[in-house]
Amino acid sequence: MDKTININLGGILFQIDEDAFRILRDYLQAINNRFSNSQGGHETIEDIESRIAEIFQSQKGIAGVISKENVESMIAIIGKPEDFDPGETEFGAPVYINQKRKMYRNTDDTIIGGVCSGIAAYLDSDPVLFRILFVLAAAFFGTGFLIYLGLWIALPAARTESQKRAMYGNDNHSNRSLTRNTDSAQITGPTGYNRTSRIGNAINEVFRALGKVCYIILRIFLIMFGVSFVLMGFLFILCYILIFIFKFPGVFSMDSSGVSLIYVFDFLKYIVNPATVPWIIILSSIAFILPMLALIYWGVKMIFWFSARDGVVSLVALVIWVMSIAVLSIIGFNEGISLAETGKTTIKNVLPKSPDTLYVATDHKIADLKYDKQITLPHEEYSVFLNDDKKELYIRPYLSVDRSEDKISRIEVRKRATGRTDPEATAKAEALIYNYKFISDSLKIDEYFTIPAGRKWSADEIGIHLYIPLGTVLKFDEQSRIMVHSHFRDGNEDYLQSNWESGTGNWVMTEDGLEPLRDKFVDKK
Amino acid sequence: MDLENNKAQMRKGILEYCILSVLSRNSCYASDIIRELKEAEVIVVEGTLYPLLTRQKNAGLLSYRWEESQQGPPRKYYELTEEGRKYLADLDKSWKELVESVNLIRTR
Repeated sequence: MDKTININLGGILFQIDEDAFRILRDYLQAINNRFSNSQGGHETIEDIESRIAEIFQSQKGIAGVISKENVESMIAIIGKPEDFDPGETEFGAPVYINQKRKMYRNTDDTIIGGVCSGIAAYLDSDPVLFRILFVLAAAFFGTGFLIYLGLWIALPAARTESQKRAMYGNDNHSNRSLTRNTDSAQITGPTGYNRTSRIGNAINEVFRALGKVCYIILRIFLIMFGVSFVLMGFLFILCYILIFIFKFPGVFSMDSSGVSLIYVFDFLKYIVNPATVPWIIILSSIAFILPMLALIYWGVKMIFWFSARDGVVSLVALVIWVMSIAVLSIIGFNEGISLAETGKTTIKNVLPKSPDTLYVATDHKIADLKYDKQITLPHEEYSVFLNDDKKELYIRPYLSVDRSEDKISRIEVRKRATGRTDPEATAKAEALIYNYKFISDSLKIDEYFTIPAGRKWSADEIGIHLYIPLGTVLKFDEQSRIMVHSHFRDGNEDYLQSNWESGTGNWVMTEDGLEPLRDKFVDKK
Repeated sequence: MDLENNKAQMRKGILEYCILSVLSRNSCYASDIIRELKEAEVIVVEGTLYPLLTRQKNAGLLSYRWEESQQGPPRKYYELTEEGRKYLADLDKSWKELVESVNLIRTR
C-alpha cells in the first residue's frame, strides 16, 4: 500500500500520496526559488499556495487523498514557474528558469566526495559508471586517484537547492524524480534524487564500503601530514630563533664541514652597508617565519579537518611575504653591484733553491689568532674569521701544488677581490695582506690572509700556487695540509683523497701530480 | 524572429493594463480576474497573475480585503484604489495613442 502524508497548505490539512507529495514539494520549491528573492515574493508565494489549496479542495477524490493526477492537473492550471513569464526581469533574476547546467559535487550521494555522482548528474548518467571508471583509472599508477582529488578540490559542492537544480540542469530534475520515483518506492534521502538501478545499487553499496575505508585512510594520511607539518613548522621556527637570535651554537650545521650560521647576521655588516643590516634581518625573518606559520596553520587544518574564512588573511600574509622577498632582492641587487667586477693580481717569486725535500709549514696560525666569530660558507672550505675590535677579517687561503716544467721551484700568490669597477677590485686585491718566507729547506706560509681594517668583505680569495720539480718530496705540517686543495694524480681520486686526509704528510711530485710517498714504494715492487 | 516570443512580449506589456481594466468594472477575486484574462487569451497559466497582483498592490494601485470561502482558504477580494484609477486613466490614454499610432502606420 502506498504511504500518504499529511500536509498543511494555505491553512488547510490535506492527505497526499507520497509520490504526489514529491512532485508537489519540488513544484513548491521551484516557486520558492522563483519568487523568494524578489520584492513581495513571499506574499506571492502565499497567494499561490492558497490557490493550490483551493484547487485541491475543489477536486479532492473520493477517499479525500490528493493523488499524483490531482497535483499534475493543479500544475497545469497554475503553470510551472518558467511558464509564468519567460521575459520577466523586473522581479529580479530568475533563480530557476533558463539555468545552465553546471558541474557540482553531489553531496546527497557521496562515497568519498560526491565527485562521481556530480559528474553523472551533469552528464545525465549513472554514478556507478564513473565510480568504476575512477577505480580502474586508479589502477594506472593512481591516475584516477589524482584526477579524483583534483576534481574534489576544483568542483564546488551543491549545497543549496538552486545549486542542486543547476547540477541536474533545467527542468529535467523534477521530471526525472517524477518518472524514476514512481516505479520504485524507494526513498534515498531528503531530496530523493535517486536514479540508479538495482544492480547499480548493489555495486554502489560495495563502493560505499570501499569509500569509507578510503576516507579513513585519507584522513589518517592527512592527520599524519598535518602533524608533521606542524612539527616541522615549529621546529624550523625554533631553530631560527635559537640560531639567529640566541646564537645557540651547535644547533644546526648544514654539513660535516661544520658550517655555522649563528654569526651570519653579525657578518652582514662586513659585507653590506651597515644601515641596511637591521632591515635585512627583519625582512629575512619575515620571509622565513611566515611560510613556517603557514605550514603550521595548514597542518592544524589538515588535522582537524575544518574550513575557515581565511582568504583575506592568507592573501595579506602572501602579499607581505612577497614584498619582503622583493625588498630583500632589491637590497641584494644593490649590494651585489659592489661585487660585480673581479680584480686579480699575481705576485710571482722563484725559490732561491730547489731542495730534494721541501717542508711546507705554517707560520702565523689561525689557532693563535684573536678572533670573535667564525663563519664558514657551505660547500666550500672557506672560513671567515672576525675580529670586531680591530674590524679585521681573516680568511684562510688555499694552497695548490703542481709540477714545475723545469728544475726551478716557484711560488705564485694569486690575490682576488671584487668591486664595483675593475680598477677598484684590483686595488682591493692588491691591498690584501699576506706573508710567507723561505728559510733553508722550509717554506713558511701564513695560515690566513688579512683584509685591511675597516674594509668590507668582497669575496676575497688568495691562492698560493707552488710549482716544484719532478721527484721533489713534500712534507706538510697539519695546518698547511688542510690548506691544500685536491690536486692529485688523475684517477683513483677517492683513494688518494682518503690517503691525503689521514696521511703522514710525505708526498712526492710525479708526472701526473702529487701522490703519497709510500704509494711510490708499492709501485716499485 | 521568434513569433511566440514577440507575442509573449506584447501580452506582457498590456497584462497589467488588462488587470486594472478588469478591476475597474467591479471588485473581484483573483480567480475571477484569471477567468476573464484566460477567456481573452491574455494569459495561459494562473501563476502569471499572482506576482503582478502583489506588485500592483505594493505600488498602491490595488487594495484587497479577505473574504471567507465555502471551499478552501479565505480569498483576497481586490479593488482599485483612487491612485489605481488615476493610473488606469493614464494607461487608457496612452493605449488610445498607441492604437492610433499603430493604425496610422498600418493604413498609410
